[in-house]
Amino acid sequence: MLQAVKPDTLSAAAAPPAQSAAIAVRHVVKTFAGRHAVRALDDVDLAIRPHEFVSILGPSGCGKSTLLRIVAGLTPYEGGEVLVNERPVRGPSPEIGVVFQSSNMLPWLTVGQNLALGCKLRRIPAAHAAPKIAALTEMLGLKGFENNHPHQLSGGMRQRAAIGQVLALDPQILLMDEPFGALDALTRDKLNVELLRIWQEQRQTVLLVTHSIAEAVFLSDRVLVMSGRPGKVVREVRIDLPRPRLPERIKEDPRYGEYISELSRLMGVY
Amino acid sequence: MLKRWIEALLFWAALALLWEYGVAWLGVRRYLLPPLSAVLSAGWSARELLLENTWVTLAEVLVGFGAAVLGGVLLGVVIQLSGLARRTLYPLITALQSMPKIALAPLMVVWFGYGFGSKVASTFLFAFFPVVVATLGGMQSVAINLDEHFRALHASTWDRFWRLQVPAALPAFVDGVKIAMPLAVIGAIVGEFIGAEQGLGHLMTVATANAQTDLMFAAILTITALAVLLYALVERLAKAVWWRGISF
Repeated sequence: MLQAVKPDTLSAAAAPPAQSAAIAVRHVVKTFAGRHAVRALDDVDLAIRPHEFVSILGPSGCGKSTLLRIVAGLTPYEGGEVLVNERPVRGPSPEIGVVFQSSNMLPWLTVGQNLALGCKLRRIPAAHAAPKIAALTEMLGLKGFENNHPHQLSGGMRQRAAIGQVLALDPQILLMDEPFGALDALTRDKLNVELLRIWQEQRQTVLLVTHSIAEAVFLSDRVLVMSGRPGKVVREVRIDLPRPRLPERIKEDPRYGEYISELSRLMGVY
Repeated sequence: MLKRWIEALLFWAALALLWEYGVAWLGVRRYLLPPLSAVLSAGWSARELLLENTWVTLAEVLVGFGAAVLGGVLLGVVIQLSGLARRTLYPLITALQSMPKIALAPLMVVWFGYGFGSKVASTFLFAFFPVVVATLGGMQSVAINLDEHFRALHASTWDRFWRLQVPAALPAFVDGVKIAMPLAVIGAIVGEFIGAEQGLGHLMTVATANAQTDLMFAAILTITALAVLLYALVERLAKAVWWRGISF
């Protein structure tokens, strides 16, 4: 029932063919140059189908954030190739939205202005963006806070605003780098539920980097496990839990616990 | 609130009393340090003279300071945006900044004469460099995560400059302006010391030459009041930039 398969057997069978991949990473190598050069990624391979929700789990320092930045076009890489919608990544692209661990709110703008910032920077006309932003404000529970500044909000609300800012751009692909890593467990659980609700409506292709096993299992279709430095995708776990996933039902499901134990073992937690 | 006002009032009153009676107790000669009342009465009887010269000094300070802020921001931005300027102009600016400005003040009189121009130039020299350095420092203080976020959002160079670097630079910039303000007053006074026909600095040299120590102190008090007022004004404006040190 649990399918922890080695990637080499996978690439032929379970992994989607390259043609239909929203994100394809092939043999990517990344070394941080310097006096003490560090190989961050070593021959990383992965493929993500359109509308798929995939999480990357790995020990800290394994290069999972670097991998995400490479896919986002924010970090150059040396070997291999990275394709998004079958086109090689050359830099940041409008079809990708990136949510970082820090909410990246501009402190001098109001929450409303921050929500609209992405659209402004991408030259999306205000008339076109406004209804979408209004809907997101409502959906993310930020209504009534539009005229506040970010420092007047809780960390959870700031992170919601950060997600809203990116969702307003209607990205096909959502890359998230430990978006809830700085939040307390309760807020994190709530935002996971919200994120899942949004995803179930809009079905972006999602690549989520996280160090929370429970978060990865609750949200994803597939979980990729990376090894320690130099990072490599060493295992894949397919999460066959029914969707739409409701937290109260999923967490009762015996398979939920089994996936968590399985991944905990793979991660060397026990 | 009231308590604080009373505290401040008592402190200044004590200081005034100390000056007024301290000089008598210690037997300080009047031409060295006249009592406060003598200074105030000399100032009051020379009020028109003081006011007239205050306007002159104020005009010099404002024009020189304004030019320094404008020029400083411009140069700071140019150095920030252009690699060539960073490699050529920036070391020059650093070298010039290390030069004692007071040594240049006589040169300003040679170049621009005894009038308004040389005082503005001297004011500019004193106030300019802190603004350049603060502008540069501010532009470079953009948080790395925000810079990356703007790249991920595909922001244009102009948007990164105008919507990120400029607002992020403002806290450091206003600090520089706050430092430059009293320096501008010093620049004007130094310029007037070297050679002038009017202004508070000139009035001080005249009062000194005529052994009118009470008038000299009145002029010092006037300059101080002017500098404090100008600084308070700048500080008031700087309050609009409140996001110092906030990042998420």
